[in-house]
Amino acid sequence: MTSLYAKLTLSAVALAASATFALAAEPIKIGVAGPFTGGSSSMGVSMRDGVRMATDEINKAGGVLGRQILLVERDDEAKNERGVQIAQELINKEKVAATVGYINTGVALASQRFYQEAKIPVMNNVATGSQVTHQFDDQPENYIFRNAAHDSIQAPMIVEEAVTRRGFKKVAILADSTNYGQLGRADLEKALDIKGIKAVAIEKFNIKDVDMTPQLLKAKEAGAEVVLTYAIGPELAQIANGMTKLGWKVPMIGSWTLSMANFIDNAGPGGEGARMPQTFIQEPTTPKRQSFIVSYLKTFNPKNSRIDSPVSAAQGYDSVYLLAAAIKQAGSTDGPKIKAALEDLKSPVEGVVTTYNKPFTAKDHEAITANIPVFGEVKGQRVVYAYPDDQKKASEVRVKDVNAKGALVVKK
Amino acid sequence: MQIFTQLVFSGIALGMIYAVIAFGYQLTFATSDTLNFGQGDALMLGALVGLTLVGLGVNYWVMIPLVCIFGALQGAFVERIGVRPAIKMKSEFGWIMSTIALGIIFKNVAENVWGRDDMKFPSPLPESPLHFLGANVLPMEILVVFGALAMMLAVEVFNRRSIYGKAVVATFNDRDAAKLMGINTALVITFSYSLSSMTAAFAGVLIAPLTLTGATMGSVLGLKAFAVAIIGGLTSGMGIVVGGLILGIAETTTGFYLSTGYKDVPGLLLLLVVLAVKPAGLFGKSAIKKV
Repeated sequence: MTSLYAKLTLSAVALAASATFALAAEPIKIGVAGPFTGGSSSMGVSMRDGVRMATDEINKAGGVLGRQILLVERDDEAKNERGVQIAQELINKEKVAATVGYINTGVALASQRFYQEAKIPVMNNVATGSQVTHQFDDQPENYIFRNAAHDSIQAPMIVEEAVTRRGFKKVAILADSTNYGQLGRADLEKALDIKGIKAVAIEKFNIKDVDMTPQLLKAKEAGAEVVLTYAIGPELAQIANGMTKLGWKVPMIGSWTLSMANFIDNAGPGGEGARMPQTFIQEPTTPKRQSFIVSYLKTFNPKNSRIDSPVSAAQGYDSVYLLAAAIKQAGSTDGPKIKAALEDLKSPVEGVVTTYNKPFTAKDHEAITANIPVFGEVKGQRVVYAYPDDQKKASEVRVKDVNAKGALVVKK
Repeated sequence: MQIFTQLVFSGIALGMIYAVIAFGYQLTFATSDTLNFGQGDALMLGALVGLTLVGLGVNYWVMIPLVCIFGALQGAFVERIGVRPAIKMKSEFGWIMSTIALGIIFKNVAENVWGRDDMKFPSPLPESPLHFLGANVLPMEILVVFGALAMMLAVEVFNRRSIYGKAVVATFNDRDAAKLMGINTALVITFSYSLSSMTAAFAGVLIAPLTLTGATMGSVLGLKAFAVAIIGGLTSGMGIVVGGLILGIAETTTGFYLSTGYKDVPGLLLLLVVLAVKPAGLFGKSAIKKV
């Protein structure tokens, strides 16, 4: 009897030991959500590839807390309802420690509440809607972080470029009818307002619209000297093509999406000269950036050696390193602990976009400030630095500065 | 006036894009009372196959007949797999689901084969606009209008003049009687599906240089074309053209004179009005169905 008891105890101990052992070796699951198909996919896939690359490097170096990182990738098709489904699946079934991603502001706003409720951090690496990190401002804790240049940074930059630097007084705004386009339009109007300018035309279009004649004619008739855009690649290309057709050529200045490959390729010569804020331009200006670009091109071999969306790839890559650093500091995969570590990162994280030196605080969940993005320009089917000055200083890493000028402009 | 002309020209080009897709709905409806809800996807497949051929160095004009052959095969496939079993079972609605399902499958396959992105279709004609009555028109838009008209005319002439066409018309008028007269109605129905997907594939390569080419290009266009088919009437080729022009011009003019946010509204309002007042469409023959 005693021997049986002893045996039982022994096997129970063995079982428990093997369970803890299994737990230790179990990989850390990180969700990756973004559009890998459809019009937003050049951003989504570049982001995913950046995430994969960073994960690979971390895993090869021994992982985090002695555990490997396992990515659970889901395609949200840029649809809000798919995003919601995926959020629930990743939280309840896959039990992820954190999620990186969200390309589309609308999808982010629809899906994040589930993470907030489950106390699991989300690192937005592309979505730029100003509201994204402020969705839960009324709650004591906020699990939503971001390492992308939000629209309250971008919209004033666009206005600054159009009105102050290039002296256009009559501006037209063309924005798509998604959350992204409409929130961005509101930010543009706000930024124009500060300059005392009212847009002469504010026009809207739907995703997959194939004819932009009415919108462009209205802008042209109103005497617009420049078109400010908030939309994604394919429709932006239709705007450029529509201008070619109408024989009306004014500069296009818009949100960072003007750097998407499907805009550049589909607009062809009509897209040349378009300018947009960028946190990353595919040029090897620092050793870190160089190794990132070389290894990205080698691993994924994109067409014409051009990353489809360099900004998404770089931010996606950095987002994993930020999370890994937080998990390491927290010594745990508990959501609240990761969140606390993110809000107080002790050691700097050297990323591709910037070096993240205390990127977040409890009040501030934005890693990118107004001094970081530069202006990019489409030239020879690639995005290059719009200003030689920026290019000259590109090797200096621009680090977060909460007192940056742009941030003051948008202070509410 | 100049602006109005520009809007009308753009509307005509847009409307003919819708009409040429809507024409395909009409072809299958005419023989089997069924529709291929994957018409938009047939268009997408045609455009992508065309793009691949052009990429391989095939001349645009040589590529068109090849794409038409592909479209015809694809249409026959849809009919055999999706529609024939439903007709055999005398299922009223089975074909709706199966053609939608096939459409989704084609879209997913296309995403895997051609990738996820929208691509540019090289234009066979110069891309600089022509000036005409004070408005700008792209040469490609003119080609779409005349190409679509020529294709519809060719199909109409075929149906009215040739013996095969008469079999199609006979099948439309009374399927059972046609069968008794020795017409292979099953074959006629397959043929009509081939023809409809062929027109969609042709439409695809015709409009691709104007729109963008990609796995998702068919969805919105297929839906708008369906509205056109309902407005114009599913039994009238003439109605399809007029319906397309009405919808196209309504969209561009509303966009300019009212608001670009409301540009889809008048067309869809018109659709509802037509359904309420004249369900057979503006030009359709109303058929009395005895039950």
